[in-house]
Amino acid sequence: MKRFVGMWLVIGAVLVGLVGLFAAFYALAALAAKGAVALGFPGFFGSSIVNAVTLMAVTLMTLAALLTVAERKWSAAMQDRIGANRILVAGKFPLGGVPYLLADALKMLTKESIYPVARSKFLFELAPVLAFSPTFALFAVIPVGPEIRAMGQTVGMWVANPDAGLLWIFALAGLSVYGTTLAGWASNSRVAMLGAVRASAQMVSYEVSLGLSLVGVMIAYRTLNLQAMTLAQGAEVIGPVPALGLLLQPLGFLVFFTSSFAETKRAPFDLPEGESEIVGYFLEYSGMKFGLLFLAEFVEVVILAAVTTAVFLGGWHPIFFEGWMRANLDPLLYGAICATAFLAKVILLTWLQLVIRWLLPRFRYDQIQGLCWKLLLPAALVNVFVTGAAVLVDPSLQVLAWIGVAEIAAIFGITLAYSKPQAAHGGHGHGDAHGDAHGHAAHAAGH
Amino acid sequence: MPYQIDDRPADVREGLYFPEIFRAIGLVVSTFWRNAFFSRDPNPDILERDRVRNRVTTLQYPEEKAPYPAGYRGLHRLVPRPDGSPRCVACYMCATACPAQCIYIEAAEVEGDPIEKYPVKFVIDELRCVVCGFCVEACPKDAIRMDTGEHPPPTYTREGQIYDEKRLLRGPPVSYEKDPWLVRPSKLTDAAQKANRAAARPFGTLGTDEYCQTPGFSVRELAAEAKARGEGKS
Repeated sequence: MKRFVGMWLVIGAVLVGLVGLFAAFYALAALAAKGAVALGFPGFFGSSIVNAVTLMAVTLMTLAALLTVAERKWSAAMQDRIGANRILVAGKFPLGGVPYLLADALKMLTKESIYPVARSKFLFELAPVLAFSPTFALFAVIPVGPEIRAMGQTVGMWVANPDAGLLWIFALAGLSVYGTTLAGWASNSRVAMLGAVRASAQMVSYEVSLGLSLVGVMIAYRTLNLQAMTLAQGAEVIGPVPALGLLLQPLGFLVFFTSSFAETKRAPFDLPEGESEIVGYFLEYSGMKFGLLFLAEFVEVVILAAVTTAVFLGGWHPIFFEGWMRANLDPLLYGAICATAFLAKVILLTWLQLVIRWLLPRFRYDQIQGLCWKLLLPAALVNVFVTGAAVLVDPSLQVLAWIGVAEIAAIFGITLAYSKPQAAHGGHGHGDAHGDAHGHAAHAAGH
Repeated sequence: MPYQIDDRPADVREGLYFPEIFRAIGLVVSTFWRNAFFSRDPNPDILERDRVRNRVTTLQYPEEKAPYPAGYRGLHRLVPRPDGSPRCVACYMCATACPAQCIYIEAAEVEGDPIEKYPVKFVIDELRCVVCGFCVEACPKDAIRMDTGEHPPPTYTREGQIYDEKRLLRGPPVSYEKDPWLVRPSKLTDAAQKANRAAARPFGTLGTDEYCQTPGFSVRELAAEAKARGEGKS
C-alpha cells in the first residue's frame, strides 16, 4: 500500500514539475520573443530559437535518454522482474534506476571506437548522423503547447509551424532510411549489410501505409499544418465530445501507429536488428557512434508518440476542464498545463509502445511484408475512401464521427468476442458460464 | 499449471492480428499495474510469498538469501564453550580425517592443567576445502561444525580465504553434560560453573537435524556480524 501511494505521489509530482517546467519554457520563449522584437525581427524568431533548445535539446533528448531506463524498469515490471536497481544513491536509494542513465552515458562516451579496416571511411562516420538527425529534426514541427499571450508577446510551444507540417514529417521519416542503410553498407560486413537490406525494405514498405493512413486525417481536418490540426481536434463534434483523430479515424490511427512502429525498427518489427540471428546494421559500430544509432531508436519512439498525440489524441488539448482553464487561469499557466497534457500523452504512448514491444515476438520476414501489403495498405485505402465519402456527405464531420464510433465499437466487439479454447472438445464455446462449466468438466474428464 | 495449446489454424478473427493483440495488451498492462504499483513480498522463501498483487519472484541475492535445508554444509565454525573459548581440544582428528588436508592445528597445553590442550592455531584453507564434512564427523568434542548456512564470502586475495581460529570461533556456545571442563574442577566461580552445567544437555546419539543445524541460528545475524568485523574485504 505504501508503494501504491508512493507511485501516485511520484506521478503527481512529475506532472506538477512538468507544469512548472513548461511555464518556465513559455516565459523563456516570451522573453526571447520580446528581445527579437526589440532587435527589429519578428517575435517568433526569438521564441523559435529558444524552443529549439528547450523542446528539442532538453525535453526530447531527456525523454529519449530516460526511455533507456524506462525500458529496463517498465519491461521488468511487465515480466515479473525488478529491473536495474544496483546503483544506489547515498548507499540506499535506487531512485527507480535513473542513475543508470549516467552510467550508460559514461560507458558509451568512454568506450573505444573500433573501426573495421575495409569500411567506407566517410560513410561509416556519416551513417549515425544520418540516422539520428532526421528523426531529431522531426520534432521541430510538433506543436507541444498552444499559442498564448505572455509579456505582451504571442508565443507558441513549437520550433516551426510550416503549413506543410505533415509533409515535413513524411520527408524526414523517409530520409532516416539512409542512415540505417548506409550504416550497414559502409561497415562492409555481410551481416550488417543483411540488416541494412532488411531495414530498407521494411521501412520503404511501411512508408506507403504510413502516408496513406494520414490522408484520412488530412481530408477530415482539411489541413497539413499540425497546429491547425490540433486546434481542429478541440472542436466539439458529438455533443461535448471533441473531434479527436482517434474518434474520427480509428482505423487510420491503427494503421498509422503500426506503420510508424515498424519505422522505428523495434520489436516486434526488429528484423533489421534481430540480435539472435544477425546482430543488425550497427554490428560494426562501437562507442558513441553505436550510442547515436541506439539513441536514434529511442528518439524515434518519442517522435512517433508525439506525432500520434498531435494527430490522433488531440495534441495539447487537456480535453477535461479545458474551457474553464482557458477562461479562468493565467495564460502562462494554461499553456503550461496544456503542454503537460501533451507530454503526459506522449509518455503514455511510449509506455504503450513498450508494452507492445514486450508483448509480441519478432515477426517472420514474410509476415512483416504480409501485414504491410495485405492488411495495412488495403485498410488505409478503405479508410481514405470512407473518410472522403463521409466528408463529402457531411462537411461538419458528424457522419465521420459516427462512423468512427461504429469502428471503435466493432473493434471492441471483435476483441471481446474471443472464444476460450477448449482442448478436450476441440469445439469453440462462447465463453459464457455454460460453456465454461462444460469446458472444465471436459478438461477434468480428460485427466 | 501447464497451458493447453489449442492446435488449430487461426480463424478469421485471429487472422486480423489486432483483436488478439488488444487482448494481450490488456494482459501485459494488468501485469505492469500489479508489479509497478504494489510492493513486493521480500520473503526469502519464494514459494511462501504473497503473490496476490505483485508477482515478482526475484530474490535480491546478497540482501535476501534463500534458507538452506537443515544439514546444509556451510562455512566452518569453531563452536565456543559458554566462556567463549573453543570447545576444541586440539586432538588433530579433523586434520587427520580431512581428505583435502586443509586444516592446520597447533596445540598448546592449558596452563595449570595437567591434561587439557587447546589450539593456539586452528587454520582452515577454504580454497582447499572440499566441503565433505568429514571434519565434523571426526570431531569427538562437537567442536567444529558446518552449520553456519553461509558460503565463504568472496575475497580479492587468496589470503582472505584462509580462516584462522579468530574468524572461525563464533556462533552460539554449546555444552554437554559430560564435557570434562564442566565435570572437573575449574577456575570459574561456583555460580558460573553451576549455570554452565544447567545449560548443558545430553550428547546426541542420533544425527538429527537439531544437531546438524543449531536451532535459532540466524544466518542474517552472522552475516551482519561478519560485516561488522570487516570480513571478506581483505
